[in-house]
Amino acid sequence: MIRSLSLAGLLAAAAALPALAQDKVVHIYNWSDYIAEDTIRKFEAETGIKVVYDVYDSNETLEAKLLAGHSGYDVVVPTSNFLQRQIAAGVYQPLDKSKLPNLENMDPELMKAAAAYDPDNTYGVIYMWGTNGIGYNVAKVAERLGEDAPTDSWSLIFDPKYAEKLADCGITLLDSASEVFPSALTYLGLDPLSKKPEDLEKAAGVIEAIRPYIRYYHSSQYISDLANGEVCVSLGYSGDVFQAAARAEEAGKGVEIAYSVPEEGAQQWFDMMAIPVDAPNPEAALAWINFIMKPEITADITNYVWYANANTASLPLVDPEIRDDPAIFPGPDVLAKLYPAQVYDARTDRLITKLWTRAKTGQ
Amino acid sequence: MSAVIERVAPLRWTAALLAALGLRGRTLVIAVPMLWLLIFFLVPFLVVAKLSVSEPAIAMPPYLPLVERDGARMTISLSFENFGYLFDDPLYIKAYFFSIRLAFFSAVLTLLIGYPIAYYIARSSEARRSVLLMLVILPFWTSFLLRVYAWQGFLRSNGVINNFLLWTGIIDQPLVMLQTNFAVYLGIVYTYLPFMILPLYANLVKLDEALLEASADLGGRPLPTFFHVTLPLSMPGIIAGFMLVFVPAIGEFVIPELLGGPDTLMIGRVLWNEFFSNRDWPTASAVAIAMLIALVIPIMILRTAQQRVEEE
Amino acid sequence: MNTPVPVATSKPWITGAEPPFIRISKVTKRFGDFYAVDDVSLDIYKGELFCLLGGSGCGKSTLLRMLAGFETPTEGRIEIDGQDMAGKAPYERPTNMMFQSYALFPHMTVEKNVAYGLYRDGMKKAEAMEKVAEMLRLVQLTPFASRKPHQLSGGQRQRVALARSLVKRPKLLLLDEPLGALDKKLREETQFELIKIQESLGVTFIVVTHDQEEAMTLASRIGVMNAGQIVQVGEPPEIYEHPNSRFVADFIGSVNMFEGRVTEDEPDYIRLGVADLGGSIYVGHGVSCVLDQQLWYAVRPEKIRISRTRPDKTENVFRAVVDEIAYMGNISIHRLKLPTGRLLSATKANLTRHDDEAITWGDEVWVTWDDTAGAVLTR
Ligand SMILES: Nc1ncnc2c1ncn2[C@@H]1O[C@H](COP(=O)(O)OP(=O)(O)OP(=O)(O)O)[C@@H](O)[C@H]1O
Ligand SMILES: [Mg+2]
Repeated sequence: MIRSLSLAGLLAAAAALPALAQDKVVHIYNWSDYIAEDTIRKFEAETGIKVVYDVYDSNETLEAKLLAGHSGYDVVVPTSNFLQRQIAAGVYQPLDKSKLPNLENMDPELMKAAAAYDPDNTYGVIYMWGTNGIGYNVAKVAERLGEDAPTDSWSLIFDPKYAEKLADCGITLLDSASEVFPSALTYLGLDPLSKKPEDLEKAAGVIEAIRPYIRYYHSSQYISDLANGEVCVSLGYSGDVFQAAARAEEAGKGVEIAYSVPEEGAQQWFDMMAIPVDAPNPEAALAWINFIMKPEITADITNYVWYANANTASLPLVDPEIRDDPAIFPGPDVLAKLYPAQVYDARTDRLITKLWTRAKTGQ
Repeated sequence: MSAVIERVAPLRWTAALLAALGLRGRTLVIAVPMLWLLIFFLVPFLVVAKLSVSEPAIAMPPYLPLVERDGARMTISLSFENFGYLFDDPLYIKAYFFSIRLAFFSAVLTLLIGYPIAYYIARSSEARRSVLLMLVILPFWTSFLLRVYAWQGFLRSNGVINNFLLWTGIIDQPLVMLQTNFAVYLGIVYTYLPFMILPLYANLVKLDEALLEASADLGGRPLPTFFHVTLPLSMPGIIAGFMLVFVPAIGEFVIPELLGGPDTLMIGRVLWNEFFSNRDWPTASAVAIAMLIALVIPIMILRTAQQRVEEE
Repeated sequence: MNTPVPVATSKPWITGAEPPFIRISKVTKRFGDFYAVDDVSLDIYKGELFCLLGGSGCGKSTLLRMLAGFETPTEGRIEIDGQDMAGKAPYERPTNMMFQSYALFPHMTVEKNVAYGLYRDGMKKAEAMEKVAEMLRLVQLTPFASRKPHQLSGGQRQRVALARSLVKRPKLLLLDEPLGALDKKLREETQFELIKIQESLGVTFIVVTHDQEEAMTLASRIGVMNAGQIVQVGEPPEIYEHPNSRFVADFIGSVNMFEGRVTEDEPDYIRLGVADLGGSIYVGHGVSCVLDQQLWYAVRPEKIRISRTRPDKTENVFRAVVDEIAYMGNISIHRLKLPTGRLLSATKANLTRHDDEAITWGDEVWVTWDDTAGAVLTR
């Protein structure tokens, strides 16, 4: 087809290309393993907009790209606390809600919770949400700690007495201070949202004390490592642990992975769809966000990635196995114990990073 | 004769033109690499240097501009606080020394492994030499990242090595090798080995066989011959190889990140943390600049050593 | 030191009074299917200065390297001082070698180069330094002791190499073209020095050279090599005056070579018919040959006399025209053209500084030589 184009035609096509591309391409930047297999295909079929889909595995990576500017992405999915800071930095454009009729499907309670980071939900819509808890290899933990292992408590990880026994089969933490510190504070019975340096120092003490027993600090590696038995306890994101569990089951090697929301409390987070100010194609971005909010599409994603969504209309379409799992869609008793992700000011941020590096390296 | 002149004429014209511009052939020859350095080294360096004296901010990009215009007033604000941090917190200094130590021992290990290989290749027949050199360079044909990931597969507790050792019954518990400093050494030595072998080979292949014969003739057994003749004469190759391994290993990020454990405190990782976790680009830049300046010291030591050796 | 006394005056190779110091028997060295050294047998005696002489690529270095232990013979046996050298590494042999390329250690000073061999034998520094100093004095390099090889001239380097190979007082010193890189004057000086050193230290030398004049000057005996084989061994005058083949006659000095057939074969003389001369050569001694056998006759230029008048004899007298004269200072070389067109060279000593009667270009002359002046060669 191209071969038969005349030179004039070619020039005309080249001139038309940018406009065409703007109409027809949307660049999505999302977490790895965080979408159903056919979502993109369905979107392309319905809208005729081509999707370029990239993935990241940490908020930090996403943030570096966004702060540098001209990332070229139309839709990104930061976690709520990162979203809040990035809004302050002027990274996002307000959503044109007239283009998002499917907003009516969303759970008003959860949207209100998300508004704590993004007043009036001006910039973001919840993609999925979840908790930070403990993923563990049922058999290996039982083998080392017996039947009454405290699998529903942070002490499984943060109490050196247990950590020491688990070290040889592998404990991992997320490589993110803002996820680990609140958990450590919770374990100590302190306010998970505390910004007091003395509290943070104490939390750092806890983290440092178990340093010798930690295999590594990483935010996605543990998914496959839990699944194939390489590690046995991970402080991780709920959905990621479920994915590990599903993979372990598929592999059929007898590895059983479970997830628990510790009874001391756990962090609740929202991954938010948002549009960068310099998005090349905001219209297509809005189309994408609206498409995701379709009940059947969101249900597909939840069924695939095992994360809770905030889309009330989708719930009837979600597998009962997932919908009724209190670890994924927690009941009111658990919900009451969840706390939001903290946003730290620059000074606290620096203090935490410093404490974090020191605790990690033992220096 | 005239044909020759005619053919040369355009050349002379160009030369004259360049001379008119104040450029002579020699200047021009130097100009190309200079331009290269300017564009790909000096400019990025200046960008980073500028960043390192900026003030961090929640903004996009996350720092304040150096120059601010307020009507007719223009203020330039340089913040050296970022460098202050580097000394406030022993972390940076520790990371620096840790990196140097690790790079140093990696380079020593690489040398110990690379030397016999280079020696063997240099002493092989010409036909075999080119095959062996090919083998040394072969790993470069696959992605570096892929190869480091492959090591993960080897080293993990249910990886190839452990499975083999468990199978043979040498061990009954898998050895923890991944996420240790051992794995980092292994990764660096493995990755940088060709950079050690190639300059050593280039040096050893020039070694005059007659000198080895002379030594043997004068009663030098193989080992003394090696230490008194081969080794000192290959010093330029050793230093070149050492520098090619040591210097980039100091700033290595990928290998400690993928193979190292939490206590592998490399300066590259600290930099990564500053940049990504703290989103403190100015401090990250300050670390980079400080590292560059600090790197100059070991490089200078090696350079002078090399010059001294070469003069001899 | 008093005047050098030749050690090898007794000529054991003639008397057989003592066993050979080096015994090379049936040694062959093949590289692939190329014979670099081909079935060489050679005895060399203690205190000799033996010269290996031959053209480039004839196997001299290879033979020497087998003695030093750098190459192993494909076949045959080498004995030094009664010991079989098979399987002995270079560092286990009582030999030292001075390399064709000198092979000085570029990273060591002159002093360290010379001391190298002593240190390898575990000698203490003080003692080694004493020996080195003595050696440097001998080769007149004392002022250069702390220089590196690249700071020396070619001749100085050569002397360092010599000192280094001598300092250990080896039983056998092997020198591969030791003087190849030197100018004529320095070369002659050093030749003389070599002899002096050799005689004062009593070391056995084997010197490789392809310079026949050098061999003549230095050697107690000469072994002439060609294509991997030793073609003749003998004292310098023997090699010069009694070559055993056309190759040796040709290789050593210059020669006029004639091909002829035996026309008379008597017990006390033979006569050769030589087409090139348009006549015959009378040889004043018996030769074991048969009538009509093809033979060669070699006569050296200095044996040929030229005169304006016909010499007072009948044999070996020929007419010629002076074609060219090359003045060499001490002698002049005349190129003479015989009526057959054959050229002949003859030298004439320049006995006076000026000679009005001198033979000159275009002169018609007579040439002649004694009937014992030439060598009859069968191969
Ligand atoms: N290692 C080798 N492999 C193959 N051929 C060789 C080797 N060493 C020597 N030769 C061959 O053997 C022959 C004799 O070599 P050698 O070095 O002994 O000659 P030479 O008499 O010393 O000559 P020159 O006077 O030029 O030094 C040469 O034809 C050479 O090419
Ligand atoms: Mg030779």
